Amino acid sequence: MFRKIFRKPQAVIGLSMMLLVLVCVIFAPMFAPNDPNKIDILHKFAEPSDKYPLGTDDMGRCVLSRLIFGARVSMSIALPTIGILAVISTLLATICAYAGGLVDRIFVIVSNIFMALPPFLVAMTLVGAFESKAFGISISIIAAMWVWNAQVVRTYVLREKSKPYIITCRMSGCTELRIVLKHIIPNIVPHLLVLYSTGFSSVIIMISSYAFLGLGLETGTAEWGAMLVNADKLIYSHPEMLIYPGLCILFAAAGFNLFGEALRDICDPREG
Amino acid sequence: MTKRILARAAMLLLVMFGVTLLTFFYTSLSPVDAAQALAVRRYTRPTEEQVTEVRAELGLDKTFFEQYVNWLGNAVRGDFGNSYNTGKPIINELIASMKPTFIMAGMALFFTVLFSIPFGVLSACRKGGFADKTIYLFGIICMSVPNYWIGFMLLILFAVNLPWFAIMGAESMKDFVLPALALAIPTAAGNIRVFRSSLIDGYSSDFVMYARARGVSEMKIAGMVCRFALPPLVTMLGQGFGFTIAGSAMVESVFSIPGVGSMLVTALNSRDTVTVNACVLVIAVIFVLVNFIAEVINAALDPRSLTRRNSYVS
Repeated sequence: MFRKIFRKPQAVIGLSMMLLVLVCVIFAPMFAPNDPNKIDILHKFAEPSDKYPLGTDDMGRCVLSRLIFGARVSMSIALPTIGILAVISTLLATICAYAGGLVDRIFVIVSNIFMALPPFLVAMTLVGAFESKAFGISISIIAAMWVWNAQVVRTYVLREKSKPYIITCRMSGCTELRIVLKHIIPNIVPHLLVLYSTGFSSVIIMISSYAFLGLGLETGTAEWGAMLVNADKLIYSHPEMLIYPGLCILFAAAGFNLFGEALRDICDPREG
Repeated sequence: MTKRILARAAMLLLVMFGVTLLTFFYTSLSPVDAAQALAVRRYTRPTEEQVTEVRAELGLDKTFFEQYVNWLGNAVRGDFGNSYNTGKPIINELIASMKPTFIMAGMALFFTVLFSIPFGVLSACRKGGFADKTIYLFGIICMSVPNYWIGFMLLILFAVNLPWFAIMGAESMKDFVLPALALAIPTAAGNIRVFRSSLIDGYSSDFVMYARARGVSEMKIAGMVCRFALPPLVTMLGQGFGFTIAGSAMVESVFSIPGVGSMLVTALNSRDTVTVNACVLVIAVIFVLVNFIAEVINAALDPRSLTRRNSYVS
């Protein structure tokens, strides 16, 4: 499996992009040349220089530092979110699909109801309902996305469950719990990695969309989406201010997407 | 077949009912006391009695279920109540804001189809070749950027550098081209991949080999494969239309279009819960209906799809 990943160029590129983002997140204070929130009205829209490698924004804040710290804001929300999301949807879907019968029927009906609301709509309605902003974003994304992921996990479990080796396990006296934990879940882990790796990039995009709409985060947070909020006024004078944050989102999300898609090709060689 | 579609329609009703309950539940989670907020707006510094009075007027002193039944009864008749902000009936504003959103989403659907089918066919035909790899790379890039950023880039390119389009406004059809493109590009990127893999699946299945062995012409085989490969794409297109309307808020804000997305964001920011309820419900109903239409089209293309118990995930 690991050898296959390292032989696939897309996977290697995706992995290194993911690592680079992670390094940025951990060592942000060392990479950033300036304090991302220091306002310096005298140096508005400064040209790129040694002190400000990408210039300054409309409040005289260093753009490069804000971009680097933006990675921190995004990742610190996105990582726990995808972690909790993965646990909840995998557990629920596995239990319901493995139990089958009435439990599975009810699960399908309930998830059809939840899936009648587009995820972004659910997230937008819920985001204001919590005291802590980052917590609110996290919970609202989980509430919006769990059902879509659970639905996919369910089909994987159903497919795995119908394979003959499961019957063999049962004949040799495996307990149900052991079958689920030791056989079904390890066998669908590669598919889950694909699902949550591409899911991670949509979480990043969702977080930036919140910030862009002014829902959730505090105003003035150094976040990629938030940096675009007042950007429409700069479209003639400083179009580069609009380009940088988007490129950062692209880099972070594309790393996870590339890795996920490469992994999909490895899991299902038929489609590649 | 009609019987099965009717069974699905019954399920649809159940889903709709669940949606109204969910919508109402989600907005009721908000910690903001709407009565307090309205009282402050009306009296600046309201006394305890004035707040209670406003609460009774809005019907917020009743239990959750009484409020829900009341709201649902009115909503079914098309009466969503009056906005807490403006005091005017919500339904009028909602209808007015649906129009630009619908034009935008419809045009986005058109562009999505326009990109998905030719590029999907091209990359399936040239599987592993240069065209396939280029489309793959572009697809990854387009899937990894938010639609509002694509909107900004289109504005910089086609409104600032090349003055072909106006920078804002929602009057003529031309004003909707750039927003629709911004919405269509990420959606199309996902659809191309789905269509490509179902085409490849179709061409490698047994019925194609059998048809070739019988000497059926390649044109007819292409038709058969298309019929086999279309249902997943139709499902994706239906879902994409709903996602477009739900995610229109960002693009509408970039292009200053007074659509239902911006209406929802304004209502969310000013804690106008009745308006939020109305917007969410209408968008959800559209989403469910469009998915149902996609399902009916799929049933016509491939009658077997109805017997599969869960048609949401292919």
